[in-house]
Amino acid sequence: MSDCIWIHYARPRPHWYGLDEGAQRQKQAAWRAVADASKKAGGTCHGRYHVRGQHDFETVETWSFPDAEAAFRHWAELTAAGYGECNAFANNIGLSVEAPR
Amino acid sequence: MTLLTEATDVFAAAESSGRCVVAFLCKRQPVPPGAFGAREREEIATVLRSLQAEDWRLSVRAMFDPESSVEPTAFDSGFACAIDFAGAFEAPSLSAALAGSVRLEQAGWSRRFATEWLLGPREFTTVSGLGDAFRRDWGFLAFWEWNDAWAAATGLVRREYDAECDVAFKGDLALEIGIAGRHRLDWATSWHHLGIWEAPSLAAIDAAMLGHERAADFKFTTSRHIIGRRRPLADLIALN
Repeated sequence: MSDCIWIHYARPRPHWYGLDEGAQRQKQAAWRAVADASKKAGGTCHGRYHVRGQHDFETVETWSFPDAEAAFRHWAELTAAGYGECNAFANNIGLSVEAPR
Repeated sequence: MTLLTEATDVFAAAESSGRCVVAFLCKRQPVPPGAFGAREREEIATVLRSLQAEDWRLSVRAMFDPESSVEPTAFDSGFACAIDFAGAFEAPSLSAALAGSVRLEQAGWSRRFATEWLLGPREFTTVSGLGDAFRRDWGFLAFWEWNDAWAAATGLVRREYDAECDVAFKGDLALEIGIAGRHRLDWATSWHHLGIWEAPSLAAIDAAMLGHERAADFKFTTSRHIIGRRRPLADLIALN
């Protein structure tokens, strides 16, 4: 049972807009592969939503992970694939208030 | 674990430790009579004793020398900033860190303190400064975010920058400051890293900051610094 929520806010950094379309697609494909691997490992993505206009960030994405370590692995793989270099971000982790501890 | 930044002359990777910082920034909030008293303080103390038995380190001092200090301590910071007190524990794992912060909140902590808990794995090992560690009664917590310019810089530019900052970090050690390594916070906060220092005086921290400014440390970061005087955590919790 997924018992950790992971909340991820992001917006592209300025130099993202200077990359050509091919380079952007290549990076996005690498990040999608990380997301796919995290889903196979037990994570669930609940979707990505547009919040620009109400927030400093452009999108918010929420995930459930079996534990904090799985959330960290997901993020560490994304940053290793250059995600944090192309996106400003803020993250949160939380335990379910219903789950036994 | 892939490091967010590379090791340097001063900082060595601590990838196998698995330990996780539990930093806390606390503001006291007014409570009605009877809402927070001896019972809640004792329940918090009981949780702290349990955490100690579960291989937590309950002070910055204990990160340097686990045998030397078992008393939970934190830094009294209300004189200098909007945080009443701040500190850092170290848990044996990320899951333990997250669960432990909730256990403390539930023991009564959340009744009295509005707290920002910041958790993340240790990336670099502790670095002891010159001089007597037990004279270092001041704490300094530095949270920072790598900015857009850092994110756009090449690996070579970042390594040159790290080398320049290392000069400043060596200056910190010469000022008898101890650096509790570096922890990675980016997975669960808006900050990317936390550096915690023990220092002999505020003057030493100020001199160190001047050194970091000379090294242009802050060209690639947005930083938030908390300073405070070490006190037993029980005293900080009991203070009205």
